[in-house]
Amino acid sequence: MKSFLSRDNLLLWLKRLLQEYTVIAPVQAWDTVLFQPVKVVEEIVLNYDVSALSPKDVFFPTSETLFTFERQGGRWEARPLPEIKKQVLFGLHPCDAHGIALMDVPFLSPPADLHYQRRREATTLVGLACSRARPECFCESLGGGPQDPSHLDVLLIPTPQGYILQVRTARGAALFTGFNVEELEIDNPPPPVTAPVPVAGITEMARNTFNDVYWERLADRCIHCNLCAYVCPCCYCFDIRDYALKGRVERVRSWESCQAGGFTRLAGGYDPRPSKGARLRQRFFHKFLYYPTQFKGQAKCTGCGRCVRACPVNIDIREVASEMQRIGGRVARAA
Amino acid sequence: MEELVRQKARELLSTRQVECVIGWERASDGLTSRPFFAYAPEEADRLIYDQTCVNSLAKFLVDKRNKNTAIVAKPCDTRAINLLLLEKQIKRERVYIIGVTCAGMREVSFGYMGEKLQPRCLLCPQHNPVVYDFLVGELVSEEAVRSYEDLAEIDARTHQEREAFWQEHFSRCIRCYACRQACPGCYCQQCFVDQLDPHWVGIRIAPQENHQWNTVRAFHLMGRCIECGECQRVCPVKIPMMLLNRHLLREVESKFSFQPGLSPETPPPLATFKPDEDLGI
Repeated sequence: MKSFLSRDNLLLWLKRLLQEYTVIAPVQAWDTVLFQPVKVVEEIVLNYDVSALSPKDVFFPTSETLFTFERQGGRWEARPLPEIKKQVLFGLHPCDAHGIALMDVPFLSPPADLHYQRRREATTLVGLACSRARPECFCESLGGGPQDPSHLDVLLIPTPQGYILQVRTARGAALFTGFNVEELEIDNPPPPVTAPVPVAGITEMARNTFNDVYWERLADRCIHCNLCAYVCPCCYCFDIRDYALKGRVERVRSWESCQAGGFTRLAGGYDPRPSKGARLRQRFFHKFLYYPTQFKGQAKCTGCGRCVRACPVNIDIREVASEMQRIGGRVARAA
Repeated sequence: MEELVRQKARELLSTRQVECVIGWERASDGLTSRPFFAYAPEEADRLIYDQTCVNSLAKFLVDKRNKNTAIVAKPCDTRAINLLLLEKQIKRERVYIIGVTCAGMREVSFGYMGEKLQPRCLLCPQHNPVVYDFLVGELVSEEAVRSYEDLAEIDARTHQEREAFWQEHFSRCIRCYACRQACPGCYCQQCFVDQLDPHWVGIRIAPQENHQWNTVRAFHLMGRCIECGECQRVCPVKIPMMLLNRHLLREVESKFSFQPGLSPETPPPLATFKPDEDLGI
């Protein structure tokens, strides 16, 4: 027997949720699907493939004020941080929950980033399993899967009859207090199959490719925009700038990317990553070498495929991973 | 056509007339295309040309400005080349242009090729390259009539409605600058948006800053935009930038009978001042 929500019950439950929580869910925005706070249940797109942007901005907004000081009566006073309401991030796919788990490590490891932590603690994650895989999807190669419930408080698996419900945490269970959930004899639908990508052992191989001409050749077609990093569910580089107005100072943090030309420019005119090739290598090294080394874990990639789809010049991370394995192996054998 | 492109590229590389040929190759989805740089004669066999070759390649010539480089160029790419020549970003003697005709590009995305042409191509009257050293195949017939029918809907709106329309679109902007990076007219060493003194636009990714970014960039392209439509194609949140660009183009065309990129010698009207010009004032 499995817990089950009919479509009508799901909508009923969401309506109830909206009375108590801020609900952030996939909505249709012009020609794309984006995660936004919703006012009515009808706005929510339940049957989407992939949102244009991941929901990482729920915790790591495109821009946020870290603190504000105001001059009052001749003294500078810090303004209190705005209150964060209890919220539900609804309808994210398992790969995006994986992305949040990968963001948690740098942001929540002591000393935790207060702003990220406050949002994270106020948020319950209700995921939606994938019924279809797109040609650019490869989550299974990164340890996830279309029905992977890890990193979620609740997972809903769509079936033709309704949604199989997996409540995974106490926080998830709290969303169903007083709500009558059916029990049904039903099998999980077969998950879609995603593309296989050879990432096993890539951390060891990556370093061998550091000096290879491959990176400069690959960078020939790179237009060094920030798109790959901005659509990525687990890229988290940022820039900080102070906004000063009369009697008021705000420190603002905004998304940035290691692909931008000025990102590593230093005092004295130095730049440790002065070329497009060096910057492009940094992107893939951070994902497959630096992050796993620093945090003793897996690659900083979820296989969501957004960068594959969005890249204007088809720099396909899956192809890059294969090349890193091939070149790294060749260098290792030659040594 | 594809075989002729390869032949020419092979010849240019094997005789060392050029160091590199910039064109398109098949993308990793096995269906669409991506920019490709051939350095050796045998690499020329990877070049393709079909109705998926959406990328504008001209801007890559700026990276190669001091090297002899050949480029496979469809009509909008050749207009971009003229713009870059006019603005002295590339040197004519360094560039060998393999011109290809264009029947319009299909709607493509990763792993997908549609039956329909891209919206930008449906409105484009330019099917022949405007500058080339070698023409692949023969020139095709062109209708000289330019249409701005895509602007009818926004023309019908009031000023306030237009403002709301753009506010809504710009609110989605994440300032990834893919539009700028893909644009052949955006080659500044330092873009106004990155400048600190004067500090034109703050780093905050928010409605006011996004509005400044998108509108000022559009103004910088007034009389310079060659309508490749790359800004709109690459935008991850689908901001219909070409509506704004083409609105400004129509202004320039109606006031000055000028279209950018048709000649490497005629500067855009906003860069010149003639005493007998009708300024409409």
